Amino acid sequence: MSKIKISMLILVLVLIVSASLFVLPKVINPFQMDTVERNILFSIRFPRVIVAFFMGMALGVSGAVLQGILRNPLADPYILGISSGASLSAVAGILSGIYFFGKFTIPLAAFIGASLVSVLVGFFGWKKGRLWPERLLLAGVGLSFLFHAILMLLMSVSADERLGRIMFWIYGDLSTADWSLIPIASVFIISGISISLSRAKALNALILGDELAHSLGFSVRKERLLLFVSISLMTAASVSLGGIIGFIGLLVPHVMRFLIGADNRFLVPASALGGGTLLCMADLIGKSILSPMEIPAGIVTAIIGSPYFLYLLGRRDVLSA
Amino acid sequence: MSSVHKYTILQFDDVGFFYEKNKEFIHELSFTVSDREFIGLLGANGSGKSTILKLASGILNPSEGSIRLWGKPLQSFRYKDRAKLLSYLPQLLDMNVPFRVRELVAMGIYPYDIIPEMTLSEALNMVGLDGKSDLYIKNLSGGERRRAFIAMTLLQGAGLLLLDEPLANLDIKYQIEVIKLLKELKEKKNISIIMALHDINMALQFEKVMLIKDGKVLGMGNPEIVLSRDLLKEAFDVAIEARSFQTAYEIRNTGS
Repeated sequence: MSKIKISMLILVLVLIVSASLFVLPKVINPFQMDTVERNILFSIRFPRVIVAFFMGMALGVSGAVLQGILRNPLADPYILGISSGASLSAVAGILSGIYFFGKFTIPLAAFIGASLVSVLVGFFGWKKGRLWPERLLLAGVGLSFLFHAILMLLMSVSADERLGRIMFWIYGDLSTADWSLIPIASVFIISGISISLSRAKALNALILGDELAHSLGFSVRKERLLLFVSISLMTAASVSLGGIIGFIGLLVPHVMRFLIGADNRFLVPASALGGGTLLCMADLIGKSILSPMEIPAGIVTAIIGSPYFLYLLGRRDVLSA
Repeated sequence: MSSVHKYTILQFDDVGFFYEKNKEFIHELSFTVSDREFIGLLGANGSGKSTILKLASGILNPSEGSIRLWGKPLQSFRYKDRAKLLSYLPQLLDMNVPFRVRELVAMGIYPYDIIPEMTLSEALNMVGLDGKSDLYIKNLSGGERRRAFIAMTLLQGAGLLLLDEPLANLDIKYQIEVIKLLKELKEKKNISIIMALHDINMALQFEKVMLIKDGKVLGMGNPEIVLSRDLLKEAFDVAIEARSFQTAYEIRNTGS
């Protein structure tokens, strides 16, 4: 059964990608292209689809991993403030004008931000020798507000052109996607997904609780650290590629758990596939529904995601899981 | 029994432990567990039963003294190696885990790179959940959920089981079944068990009990001797008497 579901998902992805490349918002026939169309296809549509897919994978997997380690169905990098921390750090990096590491600067700054926020959220969530998921979530929400406010402040007082459009950092935007960051971001994302996949058994054990994970032969501290590093890598890369996009990390793991079950050895790759597909779809809708106007993909995912979030809140059994 | 040579599996030597500085919770605790021993850890709430099991499992490190597993310091074991020798089942289990029964139970083989001796279906069969392997844990009854976790522990195949109140929230029928199951396992698989419990009547089922108060051992040995009126009064601060299991069972079933 799972195989059929995954095959269907891959089919949907292929359809969406084909539509994004060749059909919407304007048809391009790959066998009959003029120079302008070739440019649009290879310099705009291709990188944009790749960015959407990689970002979606990163967000989907980060959500699945965070929901696992925090044993909370409402966790994702957006809600925990990791995305906005990465975003703020990237913006600060750009404004400081220090480009020590060339192209690496933005993803690296974002990674530092994401890691610091993970530590900070962990610090607030830690009490009496253990992590309290409720405290973590509240700390994350609080920090997220703060970072958003600082971001807005920086945006409004700075006329720095390098920051680009404000939308990018606040709501996520794929319309400016190009090839420049794809190589480095894909390394971050593939490393993050690989770490998560290689620690899938430990993640399953952590869902049972720290003590059982210990009893099953895992170092809880080491596993949690590795998983947080993988989340920070993926979040940093996705923020660098397309800003803050919420709800994919929240939504996708739930849908995938429903489709193929909670075993992270399957859930992690499925969430990558589901996240990639959903963001490609959101971007396709965003760029074509009001064409020639574009709705940022982050707004589309929020419009799809918010009702689902509320639906989750209404289901007590899901919340206690 | 005495004719067979017994090995020491677990050894506590003058173990002390405190959660907060200068407030010692466990005091100079020394005891040994040999192979095929089934020990009941008995004491009032907050007496230190859970802490002793957490120390024995390596979740907590002793502040003083030493804990040895098969003669080697417990903390010197690699995580995976330790998990093959001892497994621990906490009192508070997250009963809403998102897994199916077979997914949960199969986690018992995580410490191994090869498939261990016992199979998944054997473990499920032992706890009477064979027909329910595809159900979600959250859709089971309280007793079934706990048995699913016990099956996972069994599949882990360790020679020493540390069980913290595994009978909590179980109907008397399942309490008896779990005890019976563990006794069978002890004989068949040569395992040792330390089990925390607070029901003094159930403690009579054990060949050895350890009575704990304020992190100290009040007595250890044959339950008929250890569970004397005086020691029980000291342990629980109330005058009580242990009744035989049969009597206790009858009392519960008639509801008197």
